[in-house]
Amino acid sequence: MAKTVSAKTLRNSFNQWFFWNGCSQQAETMLGMAFGQSMSPVIEELYDSKEERAAGLKRHITLFNTESQVGSVCNGIAIGMEEQLANGVGTPESIQEAKVALIGPTSAIGDSLWVATIIPLLLTICLTISQSMTDAAWVGPVLYMLVYPLGTYLLSWKIFRTGYKAGLEGVQQFMATGQLDKIMEAVTVLGLIVVGGLTATFVNASLNIDIKTTTQVFDAATQTYTDGVISVFNLDNLLNNVFPKIVPLALTLLVYYLYAKKNWKPIAIMGLILVLAVIVTVIGFIPGIGAFA
Amino acid sequence: MSVLQMVLIALFIYLGAIGSIVGNTIGWYCLGRPLVASFVVGLIMGDVQTAMLVGVPLQIAYLANVTPGGAVAWDLSYATYIGTATALALKGTVASTPALIGLAFTGAGLGGVVGGTMWGIHYSLDVFLNRWAERLAEQGETRKMWMPNVLGGQAIGFLARFVPALAILAAINVAGSSSGLNIPGWFITGISTFGSMMAALGMGIILSFLVKKNIHWAIFLAGFVLVTYFGLNTMAVAVVGIIVAFIVYAVGNRQEAI
Repeated sequence: MAKTVSAKTLRNSFNQWFFWNGCSQQAETMLGMAFGQSMSPVIEELYDSKEERAAGLKRHITLFNTESQVGSVCNGIAIGMEEQLANGVGTPESIQEAKVALIGPTSAIGDSLWVATIIPLLLTICLTISQSMTDAAWVGPVLYMLVYPLGTYLLSWKIFRTGYKAGLEGVQQFMATGQLDKIMEAVTVLGLIVVGGLTATFVNASLNIDIKTTTQVFDAATQTYTDGVISVFNLDNLLNNVFPKIVPLALTLLVYYLYAKKNWKPIAIMGLILVLAVIVTVIGFIPGIGAFA
Repeated sequence: MSVLQMVLIALFIYLGAIGSIVGNTIGWYCLGRPLVASFVVGLIMGDVQTAMLVGVPLQIAYLANVTPGGAVAWDLSYATYIGTATALALKGTVASTPALIGLAFTGAGLGGVVGGTMWGIHYSLDVFLNRWAERLAEQGETRKMWMPNVLGGQAIGFLARFVPALAILAAINVAGSSSGLNIPGWFITGISTFGSMMAALGMGIILSFLVKKNIHWAIFLAGFVLVTYFGLNTMAVAVVGIIVAFIVYAVGNRQEAI
């Protein structure tokens, strides 16, 4: 009789992966130990002798890495192949090769679609809710805490089972249809519009140059001329008349340029923003030209 | 902050970290996000309203904080829990919201650097656990494979995060309760400016994930002018974005059909 992995073991394996995939991340095998742990109930069910179990565990604690939430497809595929192997189809080497081959594409899809697009988008929607309802700002985080973990668990479990059922070839066929690219493009457009709106709303930066002069000002209330201070050259007002919020836009584009084109680390960019903040603050206090002086 | 409050916040700093016991989906990607973290700190310290005032700007500035390949340059969980706690503990010393946000970013800067260092220690020490896992695999111990990963990884993770976090919180508490603390005005102006400029960090980096062709710049600018020229709020911009995204998807599918 052919050996199969029971539904209970599949769920058990998935849960061990979903909750503990990042517990012992390190440079030598990345998520290797966590992958081995999630395969252990499967190995136990498929093999009876100590030698077979040892061999099975040893091939799953080697180097492995992925974006774990979308990458659950790898676990599904590996279980399917392990099941075939227990029935005499395939080789241990082919399982290793499949795992190594999956590292790149699943990391790329997981990081770009899920981590870098879906999570920021969902956060953006929730923080917008918090920001527009100041009396009930808690709604935003509570919504995120419900939707994100629950949605991800269900999706990750579905992807895991798809991997198990469709196998390596089935998953590769789906990735070749281009359906993912179309979803990605639509989500990217949404992200870009929202990020544009957020940039205009939340980024604030002023050059703080405001040259003032003391002159006679007509006071309408008392119908007399008194000494007053008026602005003769306000750089921020001038620039905003040309294009509103151009300085915050320029700062955002500078961050983009440094990160995307010059490979600066986020922490270095943060340092630069601190330096720029100090400079414009100091300018603001310079007598004669500063906005705060 | 009472001792219980500090212990609770330090506990959440651990739970919100990469690879905590609740898993990355509930931990790092949920409890570790500034929006959620500030809410949790608000609940613990009994002031959700103020916590969310700093939580939203922190979330925007760190929106792009993701972890490609496990490279954590900046520890978000440490940064935002400490940042929000700093703002709430010292809120009596400043008068304006921008200053409060500035305080949060100052605390977040301190917390993030410490957290990044702690992650480095965690990541290095975990390597030794591989020997344990290999030994168990050698003996075919399927029932014990969770031990190096969960037990070992968590012991190291908990010590590297909980203990230093508690120390930082205690230091903030001392600063907050000392009556002599008088933050000078120019410093407040400086950190307020820093706080309002930090949003550019999140937006600039997220753009580098999203922009893949030149037309994408036009779409980004469309979202920008919806606010500056048309005066829409961010919720309205999001609704316009969803509509446009559906149209783009539909057009993409139709082109395939033809």
